[in-house]
Amino acid sequence: MSDFSEDLLRPTAEDDPAETSVRPRSGMCLPWLQKQVESVATRGKKEKDFAQTTSACLSFIQEALLKHQWQRAAEYMHSYLQILEDSDSNKRQAAPEISLQHALYLLHHGMFDDASRNLSQAETWRYGEKSSSQEALINLVQAYKGLLQYYTWSKKKKELSELDEDDYAYSTASQNMFKHSWKTSTNFSALIQTPGVWDPFVKSYVEMLEFYGDQDGAREVLTNYAYDEKFPSNPNAHVYLYNFLKREKAPREKLISVLKILYQIVPSHTLMLEFHRLLRKSDKEEHHKLGLEVLFGVLDFAGCTKNMTAWQYLAKYLRQILMGSHLAWVQEEWNSRKNWWPGFHFSSFWAKSDWKEDKALAYEKAFVAGILLGKGCRYFRYISKQDHQDLRKKFKRMKKLVKKHSIVNPGP
Amino acid sequence: MDFPSSLRPTLFMTGPLGLSDVPDTSFMCSWRDALTLPESLPQNSKNGVPHLPKGLLWEPDTPGPLPFLPPGPDPWDPGLTAQDLLFRGAPKFRRQPQAVLDVTEQFSRFLWDHGDIAFASLGKLMLENFKLEGARSYSKKKTVVSVKRILEDLGGHQPWGCPWAYFSHRQRRFSLLGDPILGKSVSNLLGELLYEELAMRWEQLLLDDAFTGGALAWLPGRTPRIRQLVYPAGGALDKLYFQEVRLTPGNDPRILGNPGHIQLRGPVRQVVTCAVQGESLLAVRSDYHCALWKVSRQGRPAPLQVLKVEKGAMGINLSPHLPGELVVCSRSGAVCLWTPHDGLQQIYKDPETLVFRDPSPWRWADFTAHPRVLTVGDRTGVKIIDTQGPPGCGLLLFRVGAEASCQKGERVLLTQYLGECGPDSLQPTLHLICTQFSLYLMDERLPLVPVLKWDHSLPSAPLLAQLLPPPRPGCARPLLLGGQGGQLQLLHITGEGASTPRLAGPPQSLPSRSDSLSAFPLLEPRSQWQLQERLQAPTIGLAATILSSSPTPVLSLFQLSAAGDVFHQRLHLREDPRLPSDPRPNCHAPTASWSPQATACCRRWLKALLEVPPAPPVWAAPTFSHRRLLSFKEQQKVEGKVPEGLRAAMAQGRLLQQRDLGLLPTAEPPPGPEPGPKDELSERLEAAWEGPMAAWWEQQQDRTSGPGRQPKRHKRRMQLSNTFSSLSGHLDLSGATSPPHSPDWTSPVSRPRSPVTLPSQELTQDLWAQGIPSERQQTLQRTLRDCTAELPPHRDTPEGATAPSSQTSSIWATPSRQQVRVLSGSQPHRKKPRMGF
Repeated sequence: MSDFSEDLLRPTAEDDPAETSVRPRSGMCLPWLQKQVESVATRGKKEKDFAQTTSACLSFIQEALLKHQWQRAAEYMHSYLQILEDSDSNKRQAAPEISLQHALYLLHHGMFDDASRNLSQAETWRYGEKSSSQEALINLVQAYKGLLQYYTWSKKKKELSELDEDDYAYSTASQNMFKHSWKTSTNFSALIQTPGVWDPFVKSYVEMLEFYGDQDGAREVLTNYAYDEKFPSNPNAHVYLYNFLKREKAPREKLISVLKILYQIVPSHTLMLEFHRLLRKSDKEEHHKLGLEVLFGVLDFAGCTKNMTAWQYLAKYLRQILMGSHLAWVQEEWNSRKNWWPGFHFSSFWAKSDWKEDKALAYEKAFVAGILLGKGCRYFRYISKQDHQDLRKKFKRMKKLVKKHSIVNPGP
Repeated sequence: MDFPSSLRPTLFMTGPLGLSDVPDTSFMCSWRDALTLPESLPQNSKNGVPHLPKGLLWEPDTPGPLPFLPPGPDPWDPGLTAQDLLFRGAPKFRRQPQAVLDVTEQFSRFLWDHGDIAFASLGKLMLENFKLEGARSYSKKKTVVSVKRILEDLGGHQPWGCPWAYFSHRQRRFSLLGDPILGKSVSNLLGELLYEELAMRWEQLLLDDAFTGGALAWLPGRTPRIRQLVYPAGGALDKLYFQEVRLTPGNDPRILGNPGHIQLRGPVRQVVTCAVQGESLLAVRSDYHCALWKVSRQGRPAPLQVLKVEKGAMGINLSPHLPGELVVCSRSGAVCLWTPHDGLQQIYKDPETLVFRDPSPWRWADFTAHPRVLTVGDRTGVKIIDTQGPPGCGLLLFRVGAEASCQKGERVLLTQYLGECGPDSLQPTLHLICTQFSLYLMDERLPLVPVLKWDHSLPSAPLLAQLLPPPRPGCARPLLLGGQGGQLQLLHITGEGASTPRLAGPPQSLPSRSDSLSAFPLLEPRSQWQLQERLQAPTIGLAATILSSSPTPVLSLFQLSAAGDVFHQRLHLREDPRLPSDPRPNCHAPTASWSPQATACCRRWLKALLEVPPAPPVWAAPTFSHRRLLSFKEQQKVEGKVPEGLRAAMAQGRLLQQRDLGLLPTAEPPPGPEPGPKDELSERLEAAWEGPMAAWWEQQQDRTSGPGRQPKRHKRRMQLSNTFSSLSGHLDLSGATSPPHSPDWTSPVSRPRSPVTLPSQELTQDLWAQGIPSERQQTLQRTLRDCTAELPPHRDTPEGATAPSSQTSSIWATPSRQQVRVLSGSQPHRKKPRMGF
């Protein structure tokens, strides 16, 4: 939709100094400005009749669509096709974009052949001189074509896995696959160099490369995808790289260095618990310290407050660390949290609701609360007062451990 | 927390907004279907086809929302319109039509209407060169001018601001002498200020961001079915009402009892409520103050804190994680966090905008999934800041630029944290960002890249948004988007667990208040216009709930208008198994119609609305002093009863009545009822039927030549008496002594009191009236008088609320640390102690 108010209110050189333009000073564009201006009769050239009609038609279509009146919208759409008569070249350039949209629709609805045909058409679309914007779009079109080829490849791969290796059919099928993958790789590689989020493409590409034993190629693609600064910081890029390295059985040190970056971007990621396990197993002391930091970091987030594993790990790890007399580490972590964790995790509201919903979680949390806040804290007091047959023994041990290790009154 | 295992492909461009050489690939992230890779296909096919969009449609019960509460007793004036500010006749040679702010016209009007403001200060400056007393002394220097006679001339003869008035020689001389100084400096100085003011008002007219976030909210009540609607009302929106409402899926919501209210010292701009760990909190933003209440289980608010924001408060939000935590930002770019533990602390300050320079002082702040990490936003972007990290650093979450394929001139209008943890909810890391063109969903773990973009094409600024819980488990979550102009849009958002959020089904527009016009009876044009204006008042609040227990979930939608009206609408969910792209001819939404109950409800509301006296005019016509003229005429002999009566009426400034004019009415009898055209026609037909058509015609000719002028004269007389009545009415209204606008008028908010020294108990009528201009006080008092005289006790007039019940008030008046009192509406109107802003 073109913005007529822009054209109408462009400040002109012949402006009378006494008059002030109605455009906001901030340079902000207000789509409803035109309506306000039109409410006051102004003299001068109006917008083109044709443009007026088409914009009115467009607003009718929008209205009908938003009211779910599909029949009416279709009728208006029929008239709106007149816009193709528009001499504005901007609109013609958008043609590959529209083709791509249509192809995406077909793709999402499983009509792969139609989508492929559509994409091939879009690829060859040219209007005027090829601009860089068109080039990016055409790269995208090609990547989607690649994705479609990947679909067939993956189907063939599945068929192949069901075939016997000595079979004659196997070799033709694998040859077929190879041809496909070669075509696909050229389709993907151009787009993957362009900054963006290309998760499905990268994933498929790496899978194909790995299948044909090109580990170095796969690593290069993933490393580039994760570490190129022109790309947005995409957690998945690091996850893919980590998973690839894990499959490759890379050394722990390498895995830790990848997850360290992911930890900095998304401290609440599910992989963080795996990261903690890696750090715990490491020989370095600094890794042990980071392991504690990671656990605290996970539990800072609203979506992770009921993560049983994280609480379990923290309870276990706190005990381990305090027994190893690293009280300073715990205190360092606790200092930045002591004014809000009590209200966030260990309020009496949570004590009641956790006990009601998940007794095991309440037990782990109570232990952590006891360690961090002392046995006088409300959460610990509430839970330890509860009488439960199966947990009685556990509770006794918990009380003993808290008494011994709590950072509030360090044991003798 | 799960992170989507595969994000949608997006091109990532860096750079300024509105790049022409960038393909707009935003459609790729607005796509409502998930792209599934073959490896994950089998899993999806197992649990049916959950990703196919259902034709979700909320069907309204009525074609438009219905008034929920009776109109308030205060008159409402829509204020400035584009027509008031824009210049109408541009020079003909201009190629393009151009609307310009009409400074010249506004300036001349200003000098007419507010001459005292325009010239008084200059007069004071020149005081030493004036001689105010009238005694003639020739010994003084010629430079000193005696002002007494000039003032006398002005006071006596000069109609206020009338350029065609009689000039004395003295005035003329003064005018010639003073013109070079007075004329230029006044016009230069005032012109500049006026221009600035005009530009500001114009921008405000196009986009008024004061009500960003909305001023309507829910509080839990005594039972789950009974809730409290919190909203401001009163002419200045300075009373915060708490109305209990019973919501049942089967019936329309019902009002329970009279609303309680708190009187504040400034207009309420934003109302935020939040329930954390079983505690309900209520925060209110005014122009320069914010206040926080804790609401008990019985629904009674107890004040916690009042914050004063000297530079002007812009946005407040309550923490969804920790009870009682509040973030507030000021127009100067400071962001403060208030916690019950540590009190107020400034956590961020930057007078500049984030991405590029933008003059707007609009700022916003909200929470994130991490209780100690906040978002800070302005018109150019949104930043994530860690309150515990080093000051000043942070990460841009959203940038108005090529990253989000922003258009030229696009700006952030609203940001909102959508986080809410639960088994059936979206990721708690999502943020909604609205611009004038589009809506963006951002995941704080993936900064700068929108996970969803949708062009809303609302014809006004989207300043209100609300994410609702799913109507039934597994269903998409409705997201309500409200434009300032009253337009509403409903989107369905899904994306639980490890999938990216996306739109489920096509968005839908909901009826706005102006769609309800057809439910009202047709009125005479003036009242019709008044009603239309009232229905078109900007929407300043939105509160919706979903009642899911009935067979079909019900969406109960409340909206608050700038006129203080609360409207309500119910919508039923229709899940259509057909795809929206289904080209079946009957696949359009059925249209709702007005029920007799609905029209009756509208009629009742309208009746109450029309009884509200109209707002006093902003501008009053110049008044003429007749004192001198009358005394001059005194010496002459007055003859006849008519001039005498006229003169007496003029001297007393009252309505000229028939008995004052003596014989005049008897000279011309009042006109009888005119024969209608239908009678004439039937007469003529009758005559034609019976034969003597020619005789009828002659008779007709005689009639027109005889008393033909009668209707005309009748009309003229009507006009005359109209003039008199309007004149006298006007004199009565404005009061001869007070000027239309007193210069020392200040709003109650602009002289705020320090939050610590809140006046609570000893508030009297004087203090109450302190901030109200005198002529408005008069009107208010008259309004009250009129109400008592003419109206039967109405539930929502102030008098209706005065039925004293000491029991309730004693329950309501909860003691507080801050010496602030909260009061119910059931106390006498005048003695109401108020929570001070």
